[in-house]
Amino acid sequence: MTAVDNGSAADLFAGVPPARPHSFAQWRALTGRIVWVMATKGELVVAVIVPLVFTLGFYLPLKYVMQFKGIHYEQFVMPIIVLQTMSFTMMSNAQLAAFEAMTGLNTRMQTMPIGRMVPLVSRQSAGFVRSVVSLIAALAWGHMIGFRFVAGWGQAVLFCAFSLAVGTVLAIGADGLGSLTKSPESLSQALTLPTLIFGMLSCGFVPESGFPAWVRPFVRNQPISQFSFALRDMADHGVTWQVFWVPLVWLIGAAVVFTPFAVWASVRRS
Amino acid sequence: MSTTTVPAAEPDSWAGHQPLPTVAPRSERALGIWVQQSLIQCKRLLIGWMRDPSTTIQTLVFPAATLIMFRIVLGDSIQLATGRPAIYGFVPMVMLVAAMSGSIVSALGFKVEKMTGLLGRFHTMPIHRAAGLTGRLLAEAVRVLITSLFVLAVGVCLGFRFWYGFPAAVAMMAIPILFAVGFAVMVTALATLTEGVMLVSIIGIVQTLLMFFNSGFVPVYAYPTWLQATVQNQPMSTAIDAMRGLSYDGPIATPLWKTVAWTVGMIVVFAYPAVRGYRRAAETGA
Repeated sequence: MTAVDNGSAADLFAGVPPARPHSFAQWRALTGRIVWVMATKGELVVAVIVPLVFTLGFYLPLKYVMQFKGIHYEQFVMPIIVLQTMSFTMMSNAQLAAFEAMTGLNTRMQTMPIGRMVPLVSRQSAGFVRSVVSLIAALAWGHMIGFRFVAGWGQAVLFCAFSLAVGTVLAIGADGLGSLTKSPESLSQALTLPTLIFGMLSCGFVPESGFPAWVRPFVRNQPISQFSFALRDMADHGVTWQVFWVPLVWLIGAAVVFTPFAVWASVRRS
Repeated sequence: MSTTTVPAAEPDSWAGHQPLPTVAPRSERALGIWVQQSLIQCKRLLIGWMRDPSTTIQTLVFPAATLIMFRIVLGDSIQLATGRPAIYGFVPMVMLVAAMSGSIVSALGFKVEKMTGLLGRFHTMPIHRAAGLTGRLLAEAVRVLITSLFVLAVGVCLGFRFWYGFPAAVAMMAIPILFAVGFAVMVTALATLTEGVMLVSIIGIVQTLLMFFNSGFVPVYAYPTWLQATVQNQPMSTAIDAMRGLSYDGPIATPLWKTVAWTVGMIVVFAYPAVRGYRRAAETGA
């Protein structure tokens, strides 16, 4: 009403409370948005079912084969199922980042008074929610086939924390790729092949002695195998520092490489 | 067209253009037209796939990589446990999996064509109504043949051999194509009914389950007893058994008949929904 008198545009917003952009509220809003979509569009259901498919698909057919090597396969195979589940989170996060970059949401966010890191952090937080759901589901299905935490609560918590850390670091790298390529289709192809190679050529399904001799050095030392060694020990009899430092170095190294890359890919203006 | 020589006075009235050739009117329902236009549609799709690098990777690199991985990772362990070479199960299995994942990509392409209005445009032109669907199935068959030959080549490098001569080899290579056509009819019917994202998730999960629970991965007796009958009679297993029988060792007739029954069954059940769905997509497409 007061604006009628002088007709100045500045008074148009006179009744509106002053905006107080706050990164925490922005993070909460953006995270809630993604989680809500995940919950309502059936993605969380898929996140629960996928570990079941992996669990049954790896365990039932190979249990018999592995008996010949004297392996209790339910304890043996669980780490790789958890890691596969985490790679599924990585895929979803990559798709999400690529989709947001492709549809121009990122560009729009950059034009608004939103903290520079907020979109990236909220994508990661939503991915973390998905990881937690998947991990709980994977452990529940694993319990069904006979997987147990023998080494006590501390090691069990370490198992969960380490799995989630692996999932988060992978998701950060995939997020960077997604923001950069802006193409969900080609990205899912680009990630499937490394996932297949590192997942299969690891000591997750088959002990090192099951591989041909020429490929064993790679199999033994590559990160997924090392992760599976550590996780297996955490579930079985407790991990020692001798076993744990190699996967930890891999994980920290990956985080050191991926994080600046993801930040750069997310905040740069294209 | 080159036979019409234009008189010197004509170019003015035609503004430099050649007159269009006269063509006899043709029915869009004729059988010959159907065959001809199916081939054109098939060629169109194949050229599109050939020029799309992601499809090339999907149809050639992934199956080959999967086969090599399975051979390296599980080949020795499975041979140790079962006493027979695992490669004769892996090669058929990878061929069938490649056929299935390829048909999902093709179904997504179909949805894009609907969205961009290409199907609707075809529908307004004098094109045989069935040519779109049959052309797509034909293109599927050709793609599966190419993939299977590529997988076979990789398999031969890894130790796969034909023990029953040329006719059996040809028969073996025909099975993935047969299987793929049946599967493609089903996926097309589902693709016309459902949304893209859910379709990929559901078929992806079903495909993963089929891949882990078949007789090519590990022998049927390695599965729990309550699961053995299901594993033995699911469509992939019957096809794999038939293919193994034709290339290496094992029964042929029974699995072959079961495979044919599965394929014919899939076609009978899903052909009508696929035809109807394709027609509806063409009529309602943007």
